[in-house]
Amino acid sequence: MNNQFEQIKSSGDIDEYRLKSNDLRVLMLQDTSTPVATFMVTYHVGSRNEAIGYTGSTHLLEHLMFKGSRNFNKEKGTAIWDELQSIGAQINATTWNDRTNYFEVVPSEHIEKAISIEADRMRFSFLRDEDRQPEMTVVRNEYERGENSPFDVLDKNIWATAYQAHPYHHSTIGWKSDIENVSTERLKEFYDVYYWPNNATVTIIGDFEKDNTLSLIDKYFGEHKKSSHEIPEVYTEEPKQEGTRRVVVKRSGQSGITAIAHKTPPGLDNDMYAIQVLGKILCDGKSSRLYKKIVDKGLATSLFMYDFPFKDNGLFITYAFLTPGTDNQKVEDIILKEYSDIIKNGVDESEIMRAVAQIRATVAFSRDGSYAVASALNEAIAIGDWQFYTTFLEKIKLVTINDITRVAEKYLVEDQSTVGWFIPKIIDK
Amino acid sequence: MKFKESVITNEPIKGLTTFIIPTKVRDVVTISGSMLGGTLFSNPENNKISSLTSSMLDKGTQNKTKHEISDKLESLGAEISFISSSRHINFTAHCLKSDLELVISLIAEQIKNPVFPDEELNLLKKRMIGNLEISKDDTKKQALIGFLREVYPEKHYNYRSTIEESIKDIKTISSDDLKKFHNTVYGLGSLNIAVAGDINNDFFINKIQKYFTDWKSQNIKKLSKSMSANKRNESIKIKNIKDKTSSDIYIGQSIDVSEDSEDYLGLMMGIYILGGNFSARLMQTVRDEQGLTYGIGSTLAGCGYGTSGHWYTWGTFAPNLIEKGINATIKEINNWYNSGITEKELISKKTTINGSFQVSLDTTGGLIDKILTNVEKDREISYLDNFTNKINSLDYKKINKIIHKYINPKKFTTSIAGSKV
Repeated sequence: MNNQFEQIKSSGDIDEYRLKSNDLRVLMLQDTSTPVATFMVTYHVGSRNEAIGYTGSTHLLEHLMFKGSRNFNKEKGTAIWDELQSIGAQINATTWNDRTNYFEVVPSEHIEKAISIEADRMRFSFLRDEDRQPEMTVVRNEYERGENSPFDVLDKNIWATAYQAHPYHHSTIGWKSDIENVSTERLKEFYDVYYWPNNATVTIIGDFEKDNTLSLIDKYFGEHKKSSHEIPEVYTEEPKQEGTRRVVVKRSGQSGITAIAHKTPPGLDNDMYAIQVLGKILCDGKSSRLYKKIVDKGLATSLFMYDFPFKDNGLFITYAFLTPGTDNQKVEDIILKEYSDIIKNGVDESEIMRAVAQIRATVAFSRDGSYAVASALNEAIAIGDWQFYTTFLEKIKLVTINDITRVAEKYLVEDQSTVGWFIPKIIDK
Repeated sequence: MKFKESVITNEPIKGLTTFIIPTKVRDVVTISGSMLGGTLFSNPENNKISSLTSSMLDKGTQNKTKHEISDKLESLGAEISFISSSRHINFTAHCLKSDLELVISLIAEQIKNPVFPDEELNLLKKRMIGNLEISKDDTKKQALIGFLREVYPEKHYNYRSTIEESIKDIKTISSDDLKKFHNTVYGLGSLNIAVAGDINNDFFINKIQKYFTDWKSQNIKKLSKSMSANKRNESIKIKNIKDKTSSDIYIGQSIDVSEDSEDYLGLMMGIYILGGNFSARLMQTVRDEQGLTYGIGSTLAGCGYGTSGHWYTWGTFAPNLIEKGINATIKEINNWYNSGITEKELISKKTTINGSFQVSLDTTGGLIDKILTNVEKDREISYLDNFTNKINSLDYKKINKIIHKYINPKKFTTSIAGSKV
């Protein structure tokens, strides 16, 4: 093995290394099923690290990172999109609450290209004002497209209502006025605080040669020093919620949405496993409790819930997309009654077995293709422990009936809830 | 990977062909199947019959209620879905290797012996109508409907009903209509099943024979190929939808070329250079340089199965930027048409398409999608192996001639859906 690296640990066929010169973390999983590899860089910075005036900066910066860097730019005829798409790579980047990731799915023989581009833009991105100006309107149109959707608007409102102090209050794309007005200097400052090898994890999944790839990572990322400053921690905590909160969005539309959110613990809290199982029991599939009581009764066209594990506290949200004419309150009452029933009467063993089977299959499917693995691993990296991905299923299997009742009682508490309604204003078009 | 060497093809039962591709992925199996009987095979007076029939397959069989089916599947974490595309009835299933036999048996039971209960049909109709009502506010869907209704005559395969027409059609369908459709269309004959993942050939064939041998045969004829589009006219369709912060725009025209044409790949490549990906011209100018949109692209569509289709450019713009956005888009299309593509662009996009083809095979779903689409179009499996050579043989001068042969920049249809400024 390349002696510039130190092996840290292994779990679930994944090996972790540290580049000694700058503390870059590297995760590797070899799979030679197809001659394809995914290369991903996850930065430990997301909209969680923003505040008033520069919400959406992480995402806007992500866009600017494609505008050119020292070795890869239009002036040299080596623009990032051109270089990667000309080899057939799938390429993109995404930003979320706790992380920003940049990735390339490439034919295996082109992995060096992906590594060299990501290393170059880690510290040598141009971030020019003449690039920010047209990109701001691009991002604003992305925001506007999201605003077209009643679900997106309601979801933003629920988070903004449930979280008042903590930065999960604002969505990843940020507030429109911040997108329009944040300065290039502020974005550069953001870049210089967070885009360092010691605040990033590189993941390589698929068909690659390990020693050679480590040497390439050393060759390209090894030129960067670690940051001379400590990466700042977010210290804002959400004050205790003392009572149900409600938010209503009224707009032109055809049918309503009812949503109920409850605060959940940080993603690495042990209760998160039981919460994931509880979500499956309530909402996943046609056999789930709420599907039978809401969709099967013709009250909603569809139903889903999410309880993503985040670095800090999250939300357990159930969404019901109502059939035209269905009353929001009626569906809200059904959802809350079901929550109460679980708190009071618990769940059956068969329900837990079904939920665990669903999760077991989901975990297996999440290993179908190198990008699927990298993507799932990326979210575990974001919450602070990549082994969350490799140990997830084993922890899920340990969840008991008592755990479900306990977490339902602890987290599905009325005073910790935020109820959201989308009410359509049906207007003759 | 060579498809011809990797894909094991069998006809274990007359009228049912299997395509098996074992991969190194562990425990996971993906199955997809298709047979003739899509929406174009519905009663001409009501093209929703096929889609309601396929959507009702999981609502109960002669031996199981819908809850017994979903309980069995979900207790394994497996999924089966049925859908009607324009020509085919399709199904897809994901499961663990250990559950494969049960999943095959459930696919067979649902597709062979559904019972179409009235109560379930009424519930499904209510949900489908609800979704259609919601789509009245979907700017992209509304712009596309407006565009397709303008470029195709009513009887064309690619014509699209309005939301109101679709709702009306759904309301009139009875369970007897579905039973009759199932009885006359569903069966062996054109059924193809592709499977990829952690799979054993003999085991799969054995289970297919076990669960499908007793199914009746149907003699469904393929649809005739000749189908003319509307005569081209410069036209504009506008759908006003209130409270929308972004509008969707389609610009394009019908096009007299099908995938079987020798000009198809050349035209496809020419249009890909205009708007096929981020590094294509439209994204580089209208988005990257001018910042007018989050997304804009251009493609050929509706050209499969020997039918002439259409090409379009689609983009989104804020209401106050629509005029500017459309002008910038048209300017770039005209520049592409007048100046043509360059040899350098073609070289770059050849490697893009060939590399993308390789990357798309990274998942079991990607593999079987390629195989099944290929067989649905009556192509030999070797077509997939020769695809790269076909792309590499394209010549930029010929492509520029093909662009001029098929595109008429003076007769575009523009369809806009969104809020007025």
